[in-house]
Amino acid sequence: MFDEIPILTLMLVIPLVGAALTLMMGKGKEKFAKYVAGIFSGIVLILATILLFEENVAALAENHVWIDAANIRISYILEIDGLSKLMVFLTALLIFLVVVFESSESDRPNYYHTLVMLMQVGLMGVYLSADYFLFYIMWEVTLIPMYFMISWYGGPRRHYAAIKFFIYTHVASLVMLIGIFAMSFQAAELLGSPIVDFSFAVVASAAPLFEKAFQILVFGMLFFGFAVKMPMVPFHTWLPDAHVEAPTGGSVLLAGVMLKMGSYGIIRIALNVFPEGSIWWAEIIMVVALVSIVYGAYACVAQTDLKKMVAYSSINHMGMVLLGIAASLLYIKYTASPVESLASLGITFAVFQMFAHGLVTAVLFMVCGFTGHSVGTREMPLLGGLAGKMPYLATFMMIGFMASLGLPGLVGFWGEFGVIFSFYVGAEAMGHIWLIVFCLLSIMLNAGFYIWAMQRTLFGRETTKIDMSKVHDVSKAQGFSLAVLCIFIALFGIWPDLALGVIEPFASSFIDIFQGALLP
Amino acid sequence: MNIDVSSIMDVFDSIAPVLPILILIIGALFMPAIQMIFKRGKVTAATALVVVIISAALNAHMLYHGQTGEFSSLFVYDAFSGLLILLFQAVVFIAILVASVSRETTARHVGAFYALLLVATSGMCFVATATDLLTIFVGVEMVSIPSYAMVALKRHDSRASEAAVKYVIIGGLSSGLTVYGISMLFGLSGTTNILGIASYVEGAGYSAALIIALATMIAGYGFKIALVPFHSWAPDVYEGAATPVSIFLSTGSKKMGIVVFIKIFFVLFVFIQSTKAGMTEGMQYVFAILAAVTMTVGNVVAIAQTNVKRMLAYSSIAQAGYMMIAFAVLSQWALTGTIYYMFAHVFMKGGAFVIVAILIHAGIGETLKDYRGLAKRAPLLSALMLIFLFSLAGIPPLGGFTAKFFLFSSAIVTDLGGAVTAQWMWLAFVAIINSAISLYYYARVIKAMYVEKGETEEKFKVPVPMMVAAILCVLGVILMGVYPGPFLHYCSEAAAAIMSLLP
Repeated sequence: MFDEIPILTLMLVIPLVGAALTLMMGKGKEKFAKYVAGIFSGIVLILATILLFEENVAALAENHVWIDAANIRISYILEIDGLSKLMVFLTALLIFLVVVFESSESDRPNYYHTLVMLMQVGLMGVYLSADYFLFYIMWEVTLIPMYFMISWYGGPRRHYAAIKFFIYTHVASLVMLIGIFAMSFQAAELLGSPIVDFSFAVVASAAPLFEKAFQILVFGMLFFGFAVKMPMVPFHTWLPDAHVEAPTGGSVLLAGVMLKMGSYGIIRIALNVFPEGSIWWAEIIMVVALVSIVYGAYACVAQTDLKKMVAYSSINHMGMVLLGIAASLLYIKYTASPVESLASLGITFAVFQMFAHGLVTAVLFMVCGFTGHSVGTREMPLLGGLAGKMPYLATFMMIGFMASLGLPGLVGFWGEFGVIFSFYVGAEAMGHIWLIVFCLLSIMLNAGFYIWAMQRTLFGRETTKIDMSKVHDVSKAQGFSLAVLCIFIALFGIWPDLALGVIEPFASSFIDIFQGALLP
Repeated sequence: MNIDVSSIMDVFDSIAPVLPILILIIGALFMPAIQMIFKRGKVTAATALVVVIISAALNAHMLYHGQTGEFSSLFVYDAFSGLLILLFQAVVFIAILVASVSRETTARHVGAFYALLLVATSGMCFVATATDLLTIFVGVEMVSIPSYAMVALKRHDSRASEAAVKYVIIGGLSSGLTVYGISMLFGLSGTTNILGIASYVEGAGYSAALIIALATMIAGYGFKIALVPFHSWAPDVYEGAATPVSIFLSTGSKKMGIVVFIKIFFVLFVFIQSTKAGMTEGMQYVFAILAAVTMTVGNVVAIAQTNVKRMLAYSSIAQAGYMMIAFAVLSQWALTGTIYYMFAHVFMKGGAFVIVAILIHAGIGETLKDYRGLAKRAPLLSALMLIFLFSLAGIPPLGGFTAKFFLFSSAIVTDLGGAVTAQWMWLAFVAIINSAISLYYYARVIKAMYVEKGETEEKFKVPVPMMVAAILCVLGVILMGVYPGPFLHYCSEAAAAIMSLLP
């Protein structure tokens, strides 16, 4: 169907054009920026939906040599597979809904939309590119709009938060860059090729050849780079600051899709290129994941700011993603002859959890951002009885919280349940089933703080500590965004196969290659 | 009368390799006369531009056709010198564009100023072609002496006078040290030819006298590059001098220092390494430590600056540290990366200085405070500055990133197609940490421009030549970022030309 049209390039070009158009909107025409951004991100969303159901994805790949000089070959390669399909869809969906939701907190609305559109270019680029140079460029491109979004439209401590976010994640990217250098150059040496090719495929083809020590070292560098992005404890400190200060749309994109870049990178690059290295690191990954899960959940309990609580819950949920990855690794490591369907379980549900968390966290940040905006505070001790004044918001918040704590029938359940199940398989292979206790602890804490938060903010008697006279419910556009997300949360909760059907073929072929590379 | 035409042609042929440089010198001689006749600074500037363009066009033609040649075996024109001459021509082109409308370059000595500028440029070009310690030394002096005068031109400004005095004294010291080193080397080896010295060192090994000679030369030319600990003059001079002169010094004169290092130390040690691999290790560590210290000190001190011009001066020091990586790694790929970095640096640092010059010209000032709310007052200018600063910080997809990509990668893999080595990986880590530190102070300028509110939103006029210079620089930065192929090709040819000097 798309033989002639470079649809993947369009996914980058359309938002870029949208960014240019919104940037050029003059004074007095700013309000049209929202419509322009809406149309452009809507087109991207339609394309992403079509791509989600496109079977013959190999035909869509685009490959052009970009730089071919001095024995360096850098190509412009875009590819899509089960993993990126889902991420691309999530990105397109959230960007569109963020545009529709639009925080009215901006005095320069057109620039806000420019930043959102630019972010879409970077995010799509990260999920589509299949060349390390291009990947790295896109990876860094996402930082700049986010930096400006926080420092222009953020809260009172926005300068500090923006620069902390920028430098923290930039350092991590640079360490990752060194890792990329190391593996690309070593791959050229091992393949005996005089030309250093930075494409994913060429480097991955050297995967079985890398020495073990090299794999362990470079996997560590890449893992550091990605773990900061996810973020995993102890590299998480930038996240609460960035989230609390960011505007609502910024938080949604940050938690909804930018954090996924980290776990995407781990699966796409670190695991793929260094099978032996990742097996060596399996326990450490597991410990990092468990610490993040438990720490994130505990930290949530201690928060009084609604948005900060949700920010910490992101650490908890991204920890689940990493735990899924660790589960696959542990199973393969400790089983004499791993069964493929069990081995791919962890990866499958890790990806599902990425998707689920993207949907759920978007709802959470939207309702928290809106509450802060409408009521004037997000401090839970000051809030109370919001359900009376804001029935729609209360409904969406309840759905979001329930999905986040893993209520069966909503999308969050399948992510958490699947990850914990696959981790059980991994822990059993390792012979330490008791490790599952940490997951249960997390589930318990999750349920606790969410329900407590709901009680304190939504229900009970209307608060007298703040002026509630000007409080209003969500607007139609905002209600639309939230409703769409809630529909997806329910849809994928009832019918998880819709997403699992996309992930499973990817996961099983991924594990196939992974195990193949491990064989002597 | 019987004139032998062929002998005239022979003369022409023999000067052909240095013809682009001769054009610059001849042009320089005419500058005061043109100023006398037309009495208009802009006419003189335009003439100077024309001279540079003719010379650059000729040079580009020679480079494109891969011409090589030598002039009395003291000057060699090859892919390396051709490319570097082009770099110096680009530097002087930007400097002239800015100077043509700058109020900082005094009205009284316009002719002399452009003459000095062109002479200094030709000196840089001579350094790029020189193959002998003596010709290198003469070339460097040919740059230094006009530079002293140019710094002093803003003579009613006490900062400029201080800068000039400092520059002369430090410059004299550095020349003295270099001559001392050269004379010792000559005494030891009996030659001033670098390859000759290399084969002497290879045979005789390191003696105390040789080490003293090398140390004095590294120190002497280290002053030119502003390597830490020989850097303290640079911020004062760059800050005190008129901004066009700062552009010329920080982008041109510094590159010349790097070229000298390449011509002397890179060639020397690569030559020795190619025959006796273990013998250069100590020197490589010396350069690695110099590089690491230079970039760290430059970046850390830059954080504390509130004057943007001074901040850029310190960041220049740090950038020199990055370029020193090639001398630690000693490989063709590292040299390619350094040459690429030199070009990117011209555009991004030159561009940033051009913006500074524009703001000084508009009477806005040069401290961080003056940059507040600039995005509202001058959106295009702020956007250009944003690009230059992001490029300096190494954010893709800009030239500074690509340059760092190539250069830092050489610390991971010594040569393309070779194995990854752990030896210089620490240097790459130091470099990237520095890169992140630098992002902090560049982001402060960006924050001042884009996030903070200024006292006024009044627009101001930007002189066209300065804007042209800024836009040329931004084109360079973006092209080197998104389409590095051709640049990389010429840089690797240049590096290959240096490597081909080896037997």
